[in-house]
Amino acid sequence: MNSITKLVLVWLLSATALPAQDSLGRKAPSVTLSPAPLTTMIRGKATNVELRFHVGSNFHINSNKPAAEYLIPTTLKLDVPTDIVVGKITYPPGEEMSFAFAPDEKLSVYSGEFNLVVQVRPLASMLPGKYEIRGRLRYQACDNAACFPPKQLPVDFEVKVIKAPPPPKQNPAQSPHAHT
Amino acid sequence: MKRDPFVIIGVALVVALMLLFGFKIAHRHPQAASLLIQNSAAPDFTLQALDGKTVHLSDFRGKPVVLNFWATWCGPCKIEMPWFVDFQKQYGPAGVQFLGVAMDDASTKDIAEFAASMKVNYPILIGKESVGDAYGGVQFLPETFYIDGNGKIVDKAFGLKGRGEIEDDIKKILAQSAVAQTQK
Repeated sequence: MNSITKLVLVWLLSATALPAQDSLGRKAPSVTLSPAPLTTMIRGKATNVELRFHVGSNFHINSNKPAAEYLIPTTLKLDVPTDIVVGKITYPPGEEMSFAFAPDEKLSVYSGEFNLVVQVRPLASMLPGKYEIRGRLRYQACDNAACFPPKQLPVDFEVKVIKAPPPPKQNPAQSPHAHT
Repeated sequence: MKRDPFVIIGVALVVALMLLFGFKIAHRHPQAASLLIQNSAAPDFTLQALDGKTVHLSDFRGKPVVLNFWATWCGPCKIEMPWFVDFQKQYGPAGVQFLGVAMDDASTKDIAEFAASMKVNYPILIGKESVGDAYGGVQFLPETFYIDGNGKIVDKAFGLKGRGEIEDDIKKILAQSAVAQTQK
């Protein structure tokens, strides 16, 4: 492929990417979930699963504990198979930031990357195997001058449930009369 | 096999056009682009105010109207509301009417409490998606439309603007309305 063909292709791709911005020229916010590695967990034991999210550049979303009551917190809700219990979801503390629209006010926000830690416990009776856990991250994004309606990001990750390894064998106590 | 660059470009062009048309068709708010034209008629609407009264935009025909779409969860909206309160006091006697349209999932009670906490002195209406769609989709907040006494959109502001810019737009709709009055 010669360089002119390449240039034309790049131009066409850029042109089709334009509609990703809204009709008013403002880019729509995006929050994405990095693919979570498969977490192996022993049935009956709680294990932490870390989920890594990314907030699009120039945007922020409220933390789980926003600075004001009227702001919509970021929350994760998970639908789990019946034999899996979701325990505590740990949200990171928000970054205290001021924005051009409220220079005297500090808001508690997530921007760039942030991680949530989800405690997952498969019941002791659960069959070993791979299980999918789905849910939704609800967030509300703003840039420096405008806010976008709350959105829900589908969240999906897999866990592998295994049996507890057998307890280590204990050495039999040696008799003091063993050496005769 | 050598590939003909014209064929590649042709295929890419077709794909690009299909994508562009797909985005256009999928776009939920077809009126957005047309609203970018100034002096178009502001779409009339019927909405309920916090006090339960039914309000039409056309009720205010003859008055310059500042139509502000906002929500309780919108930080920038909260910044400009006190300015609107001041401007309603300042320019209300000259005929300017502010209208706030809450594009919120919050209850009417919560919206009313929020408006009271902001000491809002102009009608707050409970928004509907259809009204948002008529004004180009209101894809983010705040969005403010400056409408003259003839019901024409004189200017629009998407996102938070400075207090001075807002006042300039108010003066613009006042002037436009005065011109319209003298022409009658």
